[in-house]
Amino acid sequence: MTDRTAVVVGGNRIPFARSHGAYRQASNIDMLTAAIDGLAARFGLSGHRVGEVVGGAVLKHSRDFNLTREAVLGSSLDPHTAACDLQQACATGLEATIYVSNKIRLGQLVDGIAGGADSVSDTPMSVSDGLRRALLAANAAKTLPARLAAISSIRPGHLVPDPPGITEPRTGLSMGEHQALTTSRWGIGRTEQDEVALASHQNLARAWGEGFFDDLVTPYLGVTKDQGVRVDTTLEKLGALKPVFGRGEGATMTAGNSTGFFDGAAVTYLADADYAAEHHLPALARIVDVEVAAGDYTLGGEDLLLAPTYAIPRLLERNHLLWQDFDYYEIHEAFAATVLATLAALNDEAYCRSTLGLSGALGEIDRSRLNVNGSSLAAGHPFAATGGRIVPALAKLLHQRGTVDGRPARGIVSICAAGGQGAVAILEAC
Amino acid sequence: MERVVLDTVPSMAPLLASSLVRDGVRRVTKHRPRLLPDREVVLADVVQSAGRLATYDRVCGFGVRDLVPATWLHVQTFPLQLVLLSAPDSPFSLAGMVHVTNSMTLLRPVSVGERLRLSSSYGPPREHRRGVLIDMIGEAYVGDELVWRGVSAYLVRGASLPGMLPEDQPDGVRLPSDVDVQADAVWRLPANLGRRYASVSGDMNPIHTSAIGGKAFGFPRAIIHGMWTHARVLAALEPRLTDSYRMDVRFTKPILLPSSVRFGARNEGDHWTAVVRPRSGEKTHLVARISSPTH
Repeated sequence: MTDRTAVVVGGNRIPFARSHGAYRQASNIDMLTAAIDGLAARFGLSGHRVGEVVGGAVLKHSRDFNLTREAVLGSSLDPHTAACDLQQACATGLEATIYVSNKIRLGQLVDGIAGGADSVSDTPMSVSDGLRRALLAANAAKTLPARLAAISSIRPGHLVPDPPGITEPRTGLSMGEHQALTTSRWGIGRTEQDEVALASHQNLARAWGEGFFDDLVTPYLGVTKDQGVRVDTTLEKLGALKPVFGRGEGATMTAGNSTGFFDGAAVTYLADADYAAEHHLPALARIVDVEVAAGDYTLGGEDLLLAPTYAIPRLLERNHLLWQDFDYYEIHEAFAATVLATLAALNDEAYCRSTLGLSGALGEIDRSRLNVNGSSLAAGHPFAATGGRIVPALAKLLHQRGTVDGRPARGIVSICAAGGQGAVAILEAC
Repeated sequence: MERVVLDTVPSMAPLLASSLVRDGVRRVTKHRPRLLPDREVVLADVVQSAGRLATYDRVCGFGVRDLVPATWLHVQTFPLQLVLLSAPDSPFSLAGMVHVTNSMTLLRPVSVGERLRLSSSYGPPREHRRGVLIDMIGEAYVGDELVWRGVSAYLVRGASLPGMLPEDQPDGVRLPSDVDVQADAVWRLPANLGRRYASVSGDMNPIHTSAIGGKAFGFPRAIIHGMWTHARVLAALEPRLTDSYRMDVRFTKPILLPSSVRFGARNEGDHWTAVVRPRSGEKTHLVARISSPTH
């Protein structure tokens, strides 16, 4: 085994579209294929055998057990390209990046593609448990009477299909309801949430205007730009929205400062640094180190979406870095309040000592370095596609920045996920 | 040549119906025009429907994407073929015509967002040992640029026309009725596939949509549209093709619905050879060749 360097060569995604809109006819496979094909066109990968393609979807049909491999077979990549499905809720895209970069660093791959797709418009529907059990029993029955008995156990109520679950199985709370608890626990106010949302829209609109996404996005089905971005939004408009999560005075979370439902797909192209150089591929940033973490949220003691606060200190310590040592912070905006609660928690002496077991708070960061080109509140958040949106964009940003005080520009990505999990990665400019 | 310019895509069901009725009358009166009309039917500005393309993609096995398959452009010109064939001075109607070969060239990638000018006309009739071959020529333009051209050859059994050319054309690819290609993949064609393809292609010919329609034309059940099988083969190979390609297809035996068939393809350097065979037996339903546009 060798210790190689994994670099981000580039990325490609389709514009994120509002659910039940432009991509309503497209499946996860269609969107992931489109993202891969755009990447192949950008880096001359048509007919090329990529080491491995790793991706997934959160809302996944059972027939799509080989979603990523099917997307590869539908793409212009060499059909000899292996693929693997992986899923870690909203951290799927980043976890896929971790998987590929680790294999590159171990010398098992020279290049790989990591990403994900999610459609809220083409979600799987399953039959109810009652109907499912009856059908399975009927199928297993050896005699006609036994089969009829199984079928006769079906009740009209069993015929109502089950949409995909949106609540945490162990708490019965939706992600918004969980975040509402966190928001009120950390005393995150309405205005500061709306300010995060406004900045996200303004930054994303500016980045689109500057052409930042020109080599990161390929139009799909007539959509050329992220549909979530609202150029004309203001604090007044955001402030006029009614809260949708939380109760009473603590109800501060609105449709404006929470992510909506989107369809999309995104992929990152990673390669061994030497391979990239030999093949004249760009090397934007190297994957320095990664960490995943989970919180014990099921009994109410911890927050569902603050698992990255566990991962970040462990990652910092291992890399001898401070929380302030980054030029760019990409903290996924599941909700504006998630970002604010993450920052508040890492700056909270008691939380850092008692919950995280640290010697003290990590402190504050320079907020002007946070989500500088917008994030999920404006771009939209097709769950598994978010990692593939953030990683290439951060890598490009770092590469453009080059060096800071004589060292490579440094960035950190933090993505929270359902199940009380989180994935974090450090990238450094090449 | 007479040029008929249409403003809107003609509704196909009435054309098909009148064509079938006229054909029935002619069977009784034995009176048919003796010449193919020298006519081009044109649709000057066609907006492609992304929604309909997505349904077409799903029915035929394509992924949903911006670029359209060559067979989709054939589907766009099909109403114009019907206009030509259902004209009172047309000697033959779609009923009784057997689709024997298809040749189409996609000259450059075409996006579903592009507006098209479509035309259809007759080629010169060709000799065939069992009757006469009628070539229906379709063309698709974006602006003044020819982006797609297709020739569908239909056999009218027992008929002949004055001035028939020999069967083989100089630029034609003569496909054998069988090829040495292994067919292992199984395609299961459900009973409703003809109706599904009819609703997305507009080809409501009853021979494809009901067992009764199939029986009326001498088949035990309905048969799937040759254009579905053609498209399904293209869908299987499309990820491996270059931006432009030529596809030649020979329909050797209709596929009854429902049924299972086998498919296989082989890369032969500068072209692909593909075959669709029955689930059991070594006959062929379709033989195809896909190459670069110049081959």
